[in-house]
Amino acid sequence: MAALENKSLELQKAAKRKKRVFNIFQTILAVIVTLIMLFPMYWMVISSLKSQEEILLSLPTLWPKEFHFENYLNVFNRMNFGKYYFNTIIMTAGILISQMVTGIFAAYGFSKGKFKGKETVFLIVLGALMIPIQVTFIPIYMMCANWGLKDTFLGLILPEAVSPYYIFMLRQTFMAIDDSYIEAARMDGLGRIGIITRILAPMCKSTMFTVTLVTFTNGWNSYFWPKIIAMGENRRVLTIGLAQLKNTFAGMETMNNHEVMAGAVLAILPVVILFFIFQKYMLTGYSKAAMK
Amino acid sequence: MKEFNKNADENKRLNPRMISGLKDFACTLPALVFLGIFTYYPIMELFRISFTNWNLLNDTYEYVGFKNWIWLFNGSGTKHLLNSLKVTFLYSLGELSITIIGGMIFALIFNRMTKGFSTMRAIVFVPKYVAMSSAAVIYLWILNTDSGILNYILSLFGVGPVDWLGDRDTALLSVLLLTGWRAVGYGMMVYLSAMLGISQDYYEAAALDGANKVQIFFKITLPMLSPTTLFLFVTTFISSMKVFQSVDILTKGGPYRSTEVFVYKIYQYAMVDFRMDRASVIAIFFFILLLIVTALTMKISSGNVTYDS
Repeated sequence: MAALENKSLELQKAAKRKKRVFNIFQTILAVIVTLIMLFPMYWMVISSLKSQEEILLSLPTLWPKEFHFENYLNVFNRMNFGKYYFNTIIMTAGILISQMVTGIFAAYGFSKGKFKGKETVFLIVLGALMIPIQVTFIPIYMMCANWGLKDTFLGLILPEAVSPYYIFMLRQTFMAIDDSYIEAARMDGLGRIGIITRILAPMCKSTMFTVTLVTFTNGWNSYFWPKIIAMGENRRVLTIGLAQLKNTFAGMETMNNHEVMAGAVLAILPVVILFFIFQKYMLTGYSKAAMK
Repeated sequence: MKEFNKNADENKRLNPRMISGLKDFACTLPALVFLGIFTYYPIMELFRISFTNWNLLNDTYEYVGFKNWIWLFNGSGTKHLLNSLKVTFLYSLGELSITIIGGMIFALIFNRMTKGFSTMRAIVFVPKYVAMSSAAVIYLWILNTDSGILNYILSLFGVGPVDWLGDRDTALLSVLLLTGWRAVGYGMMVYLSAMLGISQDYYEAAALDGANKVQIFFKITLPMLSPTTLFLFVTTFISSMKVFQSVDILTKGGPYRSTEVFVYKIYQYAMVDFRMDRASVIAIFFFILLLIVTALTMKISSGNVTYDS
């Protein structure tokens, strides 16, 4: 009997040992993969701090010999990076605010509103999800050009002012809220705006926040439409300016990669900071979409 | 103001439900107006332009019937169309494999719920939030033929300098390397959150039956994740077909048109050659292609999913 117990103990020990070996192996693999995934960002930051001579060494250095923080100043001084920053902020804010306002009202109408043909009208919103700007940009560009919106903030914002995705996501969330809350609020004399701001918005805080973060990121990182409507220097945004940093120091294509990298760091800084602060929301944002 | 109120009161007495319905409808109106102007009107306008000979360099244009359509299907445009079709599908196939297979493998590697692993997951996921333009200039620098770090590392193993972006055999692969870096962490997170939703009962039952880890993965985890896989398949397929930015910054469609995806081709005809007519027919073709792919993938996903049974 004792021998049997001993044997089962030994078996358990063996299983434990096997599990520990597996865990160690998994950890090592995970660390290696993480380092590889991290490398491009590491290389960007490190290169942005090197001198011009150092980035051209035939034997690349993994750590800068001297730190050249002035690369960052150069990006602002020799390029219009300050202006690109300003343009990006205004454009992103404009898109964010208009998508939120139109989106919240529309989501209310399509979820809690009662009017004839509601479901049919909602198909208009769903259909718009199928028509990306990559298809329709030619007529939109002609229209904006006719209205004198080339190289203006309005031109950058208007075609992106309504997001069917935003409406769709919010409508789903609003629908999950019981009608009795709305009825009670109506009894208390709240109007539509009151119901939205006092009842629906607070109850759907986390979804709204997540969707808004995604909208902000998409706006900040947008490239296709700004490239078409705002190629001029005056309303150029960060993403476009960055892609052209290389061309601007003409003839020295590979020479200024330290400055290009500094520009790249500056361009992604706000979003990456947001990501690490609101990690929880940013991660669930995608998984929520996946559950649907 | 008073008069207005009185009117409203009168109307309310007449038909309060209708007024309330109109107000609800009014809430949706701003969004509908914008969608009308910036989505539905342009798509119709696109069809009209496709029947003209609109070149932005000329002041006027006239209607030319099906000339552009003939150019596209049975003329000098056909080979560009077929090339874009091929390149776009190759690219989509690449991004789909990276997101789905790569994402699944990453999910298995990073599935432990400790603090260290959570940090590593965040690091793997953050490229998704790095603006594509920043990511693209990083890869331009890493893939640089003469002083890029990748060629340096390869040279340590005796592999000669590869012209990553200048060689037609490697250009599309290089674009995929960049997109893959941003996409794989996303696939991982989607799979991981779905894996957390699988009930532990299944695993316990399987362990009691003496199934090993490989069997458990193929017989339980994988089938239970099929809705997630289909979700990733549908959304990634559509979004990957719209690829533009990475191509624009890394290769500009070259070399020898080996990365000339649909959106880049449309962009080129419209904004570089100013041939609005030709750009329009390709755009319409691309639009119909998107609709077909959407319909097909939706059909697969509605009929072929293993849900919790």
